[in-house]
Amino acid sequence: MKAMSSHPAANKRTLWERIMRDIKRNRQLYLLIIPGFLLLVLFKIGPVGAMVIAFQNFRASRGLWGSQWVGITNFERIINDPYILTLTKNTVILAVLSVVVVFPIPIIFALFLNEVKSKRLHGFIQSMSFLPYFISAAVMVSILSTLLSPSSGLVNNLIRASGGKSINFMSQPEWFRPLYVLLEIWQTFGYSAIIYIAAMTAIDPALYEAAEMDGANRWKKMWHITLPSIATSVIVMLIISVGNIFTVNLDRILIMYNPSTYSTADVIQTYVYRIAFQSKGFPDYSYSAAVNVLKSVIAFILVMGVNKIADKAADARLF
Amino acid sequence: MLNYSHHKHHRLSLFDGVNELFLLLVSLLCVYPFLYVFFVACSDGASLALGQVTFLPKGFQLLSFQYIFDNPRFNVGTGLINSFLYTLGGTAVALFVTYITAFVLSRKRFVHRHWIMRLFIITWVFDAGIIPQYIIYNAFSFVDNPLVMIIPGAINTQFLIIARTFLLGIPDELEEAAFIDGASDLQILFRVFLPLSTTILATVGTFYAVSIWNQYLIPQIYLKSDKYRTIQQVLKNVVVTDGASDTTFVNVTVGDVTLNQHNLKAAAIFVTMLPIVLVYPFVQKYFKKGVLLGSVKG
Repeated sequence: MKAMSSHPAANKRTLWERIMRDIKRNRQLYLLIIPGFLLLVLFKIGPVGAMVIAFQNFRASRGLWGSQWVGITNFERIINDPYILTLTKNTVILAVLSVVVVFPIPIIFALFLNEVKSKRLHGFIQSMSFLPYFISAAVMVSILSTLLSPSSGLVNNLIRASGGKSINFMSQPEWFRPLYVLLEIWQTFGYSAIIYIAAMTAIDPALYEAAEMDGANRWKKMWHITLPSIATSVIVMLIISVGNIFTVNLDRILIMYNPSTYSTADVIQTYVYRIAFQSKGFPDYSYSAAVNVLKSVIAFILVMGVNKIADKAADARLF
Repeated sequence: MLNYSHHKHHRLSLFDGVNELFLLLVSLLCVYPFLYVFFVACSDGASLALGQVTFLPKGFQLLSFQYIFDNPRFNVGTGLINSFLYTLGGTAVALFVTYITAFVLSRKRFVHRHWIMRLFIITWVFDAGIIPQYIIYNAFSFVDNPLVMIIPGAINTQFLIIARTFLLGIPDELEEAAFIDGASDLQILFRVFLPLSTTILATVGTFYAVSIWNQYLIPQIYLKSDKYRTIQQVLKNVVVTDGASDTTFVNVTVGDVTLNQHNLKAAAIFVTMLPIVLVYPFVQKYFKKGVLLGSVKG
């Protein structure tokens, strides 16, 4: 210990030598990590660095280095922009609906699917139910738009047949949220159920046998054995969805919304997208980047926070 | 007592019957809209206009598919070819890079594995946003360049975690034995790990292929020329954007069959989802595996 601290130069050389020796010994590993490391630095860390434009008055012609620095001016503008409140409200409402309405459905589905004893039927139902997860947002919204078409869609045909008047669902703001949530359920319930179903297959059959001896019926077994056995998975999934409160299905909204539904459909990410890529005049990159920075910082803290909670509550880190 | 148990037995099988029937209906309801699109695409326009198509096609025809491919102004053919090329190229590159990166990051001998993995995770959770990303991609001339579909997104952190979790599960003894035999890291990767990884490669490859095929935002931001359009963009333009005004398609008569705009839109939707639906039966077990591996806490 004393010898090491009295010869700092020798110590440094040793460290350098150690690194060189490690590179030499594992040179193929170092070689193999190069593409992945470059992708990480350039296209994952790079954009995080470019977030500094939120503190600039960014002009594409001047670039990242030449643009004028303006401190927190952009963030002050956010506070005084009444539309930001609407955007935040719309974003959070969609997320809360996803937790309250969408979240319980795969649990209920998994509980009842677990009661299906025929392996083939079980597999068939499960396969059919998670197919929509792999279908693109463009196809899902196109199908919705076909089914809801005011002139010839199946839904409006039924409404007219029963004496009602056609509804132009896709262009009415009050219909946006129900339709978004409907697509969310359709696309995710089968997929989310996979995790619960896997947890259920791990339940010891002896528990059910013991309950049967005590005279428990089907409902009692579902309630007192199956449900408590998946409690950990349920808590973890719930925590994840709370952490994702600022995550929306951006593709779906971009394809589904139109100016007539902005009052309910416009969220932080779509607003940022429109300012940057669809504005008629001069795109205000820095302002929309500032909006995104604020959103990302809050979302990051939320996710890291819930990860800690999940760690403590369920002994299950998410990553 | 006897009577009671008989009664109980009866109630249970009624439960089973109702439950199975109900779940079967739910699962069919999930896929019915996809079938409906097919029925609409191949019914004749006249029956469609009368609202007669609900369960099976009426006045069966397949001309609607021919029509959307024969008319280059819809870009359906170009969109499909582009999407195929992006998906093939993107999946090949992504699978290769993700696998070798996951391999290195799962080796205990590689002392940098922790901080590199941490950076992957932090940049995954912390969303830089589309504008800073645009500035960087633009600096590498990815704007209006089809390589944007292949190179910058070649590592998806979620899929990297899935691959790495799998590789961490392969026992160390196999590697040590190969080492004692004098194998190099590359030989270990290709001779020991690769043969054991077919399932995980299929899983991650399928996930990449589906996500590239379905991608909407990236091409919408970066690929501005019509010749680079993906099928998803084409679909959005001909079906959703057009939904209010109904101007892209007009009624056409081919031979003695009338096709209306709904035939043609449904045909466009159907060809966009067909590749996924076709490969789904073969790859769905990998999807399931991927979901479960992804939920393993690393």
